[in-house]
Amino acid sequence: MPVVDINTDELRQLAATEKDDDELKRDLFALGLEYEGETDDGDLQFEFAPDRLDRLSVEGVARSLRYQYGHDRGVYLPTTNDPEWVIEVEESVPDERPYVTGAVVRGLDMGEEELQSLIQLQEKLHATMGRQRAKGAIGVHDLTMLKGHRTDGDRSKSITYRGIEPEGDRFVPLDSDAELTPAGVLSDHPTGEQYADLVADYERYPAIYDDIGLFSLPPVINGRRTEVSTDSRDLFIELTGTDQWTIDKMCTIICYALDARGGRIERVAVEYPDRQLDRPDLSVTRKTVAHERIESVLGIDLDADSVVDYLERAGLDAEVGDDRVYEVSVPPYRVDVLHSIDVVDDVGRAYGFNDLEPGYPDVSTIGGCHDRTRREDAVRDVLVGLGFEDMLNFYLSSERECFDRMNLSFDSDPSSDAPFGVARPPTITEPYSEEYTIVRTWALPSLLMVLENNTHRSYPQDLSEIGLSAAVDESEETKVHEHRTVAAVLARTDASYEDAKARLQAIAAALGVTLETPPTAHPSFIDGRTAEVVLDGERAGVVGEIHPKVLLEHDLELPVAAFEFDLAAME
Amino acid sequence: MKLPRTQAAVLEAASATETRPIAEIADETDENRTTITRAAFELEESGLLDIVEETTESVSLTTEGERYDEHGLPEIRLYRAAVERGAEGSVPIGELLGPADLDGPAVEIALSNFARKGYGEIENGAVSVDSGLDPDSDAEAAALSEIAGETDDAPPGSVLDQLERRDLVAREESTARSVALTDDGVTALMEGVEIADTVGQLTPELLTSGEWQTVDFAEYNVAADAETIHGGRTHVLRRIADRVKRVLVGMGFEEMDGPHADADFWINDALFMPQDHPARTHWDRFALSDPEHTDDLPEELVDRVRSAHRNGVGEQGDGYHSPWDEDFSRELALRGHTTNLSMRYLAGEAEGDLEPPQRYFSIEKVYRNDTLDATHLLEFFQIEGWVMAEELSVRDLMGTFTEFYEQFGITDVQFKPHYNPYTEPSFELFGRHPTTGELIEIGNSGLFRPEVLEPLGVECDVMAWGLALERLAMLITGAEDIRDLHGTLTDLDFLRTAEVTL
Repeated sequence: MPVVDINTDELRQLAATEKDDDELKRDLFALGLEYEGETDDGDLQFEFAPDRLDRLSVEGVARSLRYQYGHDRGVYLPTTNDPEWVIEVEESVPDERPYVTGAVVRGLDMGEEELQSLIQLQEKLHATMGRQRAKGAIGVHDLTMLKGHRTDGDRSKSITYRGIEPEGDRFVPLDSDAELTPAGVLSDHPTGEQYADLVADYERYPAIYDDIGLFSLPPVINGRRTEVSTDSRDLFIELTGTDQWTIDKMCTIICYALDARGGRIERVAVEYPDRQLDRPDLSVTRKTVAHERIESVLGIDLDADSVVDYLERAGLDAEVGDDRVYEVSVPPYRVDVLHSIDVVDDVGRAYGFNDLEPGYPDVSTIGGCHDRTRREDAVRDVLVGLGFEDMLNFYLSSERECFDRMNLSFDSDPSSDAPFGVARPPTITEPYSEEYTIVRTWALPSLLMVLENNTHRSYPQDLSEIGLSAAVDESEETKVHEHRTVAAVLARTDASYEDAKARLQAIAAALGVTLETPPTAHPSFIDGRTAEVVLDGERAGVVGEIHPKVLLEHDLELPVAAFEFDLAAME
Repeated sequence: MKLPRTQAAVLEAASATETRPIAEIADETDENRTTITRAAFELEESGLLDIVEETTESVSLTTEGERYDEHGLPEIRLYRAAVERGAEGSVPIGELLGPADLDGPAVEIALSNFARKGYGEIENGAVSVDSGLDPDSDAEAAALSEIAGETDDAPPGSVLDQLERRDLVAREESTARSVALTDDGVTALMEGVEIADTVGQLTPELLTSGEWQTVDFAEYNVAADAETIHGGRTHVLRRIADRVKRVLVGMGFEEMDGPHADADFWINDALFMPQDHPARTHWDRFALSDPEHTDDLPEELVDRVRSAHRNGVGEQGDGYHSPWDEDFSRELALRGHTTNLSMRYLAGEAEGDLEPPQRYFSIEKVYRNDTLDATHLLEFFQIEGWVMAEELSVRDLMGTFTEFYEQFGITDVQFKPHYNPYTEPSFELFGRHPTTGELIEIGNSGLFRPEVLEPLGVECDVMAWGLALERLAMLITGAEDIRDLHGTLTDLDFLRTAEVTL
């Protein structure tokens, strides 16, 4: 979840309040911002759900508090000045990153705090909406360093968004003294290396030029020439990305933050080859909500005036129409309002969800367990009655555990008479750990691992498990055949085939199925002491004494008798 | 005086003038030591015998101690290596590790003891030695060789304490018992001791012959501990899962079942999770490489879900401004939550179209590509439930979950407004820990969004919630390492002794 760092003095000033830190923490908790700790600089850190990304900086958090305190009501839209600057988009712009937007903000008087807040907001937007800059990346520049004289058109100044060759024009990136080509930035500059993956596959790299030349290499790094400092009063903000809506919203959130700091927003014309946009987009969106829906979701009766009041306290505007339907205006910094249900949620938050009395749905239904659960429970009862300690193992395992250490050889295309447990395992693409790479094909390997990890515990260790095993099966809808398997081991100094068979007989008798055990060969078991488990005439599993090779592989110094069969055979 | 046979034998063997070790008497009478000890205590109880206990301490080297005795203590090896390098000045530690034959944890051991003993200083990763010292007179090294050589010179206590702290020696105490006759014992012997005719075990013969009426039964020490046995028992986590199932069934919920490996369509797309949501990146998912994708998705439903993602639902609806690729939908993965089951049931894929009202639940495994540690598992059980009715409110949700948690002693449930891509309104649930009173997160809930329900063809309200079973179980059992509670790394001792208070 996103975390925002807050200097509480700034917050008090921006939200126009005298409250102390503890009171602020309580008020912020009510907004859904949870106190997490402090930064080294003494800022307080708050974590919140990633819906209200307009709260990624102290300015946005302060705005929410002003609504909470009643200092502000309804929709606020900053005023903007007409554009002087144009962003020209050339045909050469890489297809992978075709979109650009921007804004000019003038008249700022930024101290160190304001500048840090802007940088934080930029980084946090990159991490969230910007999807680590892949979907949207922000560049902030000192406007006075840009030269964009333009002779044609109505506007007097422009910059250009284009695609350039990796070995094309050189420029000096931030935090560097060297003149580097775009490819050089990706290979030789630390920030370049960090974000190289985003553009490495592009034929042409995204680049922004003014009259002087290349000054930004989005989404990787800006040039040093236009670097922003506390002396910067006028800023040019540009955003590039893979989706116009996303970068426009990111731009809007930044403009609202700088507006709160006293900046004057000046629009920018974005000229694509085939269309022109006027940005930032500060228009409201509208949602229609029925009064009945608000009442039914919250489960309470409300009058129209109080609904409008709650909406205005949430920073929205509402007009009541005929039939008690509200026309709600949503300000442009909100990225989370997709449907009218989101407006209902705002009403609930303003009302205070915790003030609602719990009710109970007045509908009756009949409960019950799935057939599979009932079958599992019946077999587990018998196993526990026979003295088995019930285990609950991981379903994830590895080929090494399922096959190699069980003296089996893995076969990616096993025949139908392959030993029990040999199957094509569902395999994980990029596992973190070599110990968990497949879904297990049988459960006895898991029980042997438990025995292996518990050789210091007292014997006998009679363990059983009913759990999942799986195999790739092209005929299934999900291409995986999943089934429940019943496995048991008897680890004791005198364990023998007889002990395992006796318990198997008891289970078969208790569940009312016939058991036959014709001899078979299985590399995990001792020859001549291994049988197939045949239940009601169906081949369902294996029973026998575990092979000494397998025992020693698991550091076991005593015999183990074992069986495993498919639970479905108990139907 | 009549005494049982072993007691009579011990009394005969004991002397009034000297104490005799129990071990010796056991050898002499050819009985095992436990039997003789028990008899001796019974005689002491009757005042016929005195028992003297002597505790002796023996010291032995641990495996690590033996190794150091043979190869030298790590800090001395480091010192010698540094002196050899002519280290009046300082030498980077890295250059000394080879010559001193140090690696892994031994490096840390060498450095801390080197400094402690004042062999020199370590600063900024470099070692400088005080070359005037004589490592041959190191008290700890000397003590190790004394213990190894079993000489009689016991090392000074302080050195021994230090070695024990370093886990290089093990101290063991053993108690030897000896007996001597009391005056009453001597008197009893003088008066003559007869062996009582007692019976150890009640046999079928004794019962059928009627002989049981004339024999004495030997007394047992009924207060003593018996042998430890471990009966079969249901796994503690399974018991908790079963209890949750019983509660839910009692509240009218029916159980769902369905695939662990499923298409991303059912796991995420149907749930209105944008395809570029961070939780859907390859780092968090358990995507499968074999099999990789399914061809079998319900086409019309896929179209409706795609449209919801792109355009939202309803006239004024807005979708996600994220890419949506059907190939991604077809990819197979181990489910990250059991909501794929809810989606299959709500879509009518599992049991046909459902008419309200309905209540469904599942308690089954979900998978997260994470690192295994004491509080994180790669697979764990998720409790999931949902209620479908013509009309449901936030108050219905609150009442249902308050009722549920009260069954587990968790009261004062609080609902913190939250955000999920698939529910609105959404709430994180917090409750008071039944014993510590601490406020803890106990679940996540909400009303499914129209963008989830409309494509599935559901025209009424559905509220849902979920939580991890292991979280509830750690609260109930007090388990500190989640790996004991679930998985092949379990400690049988934990499972055998886990208190089941349900």
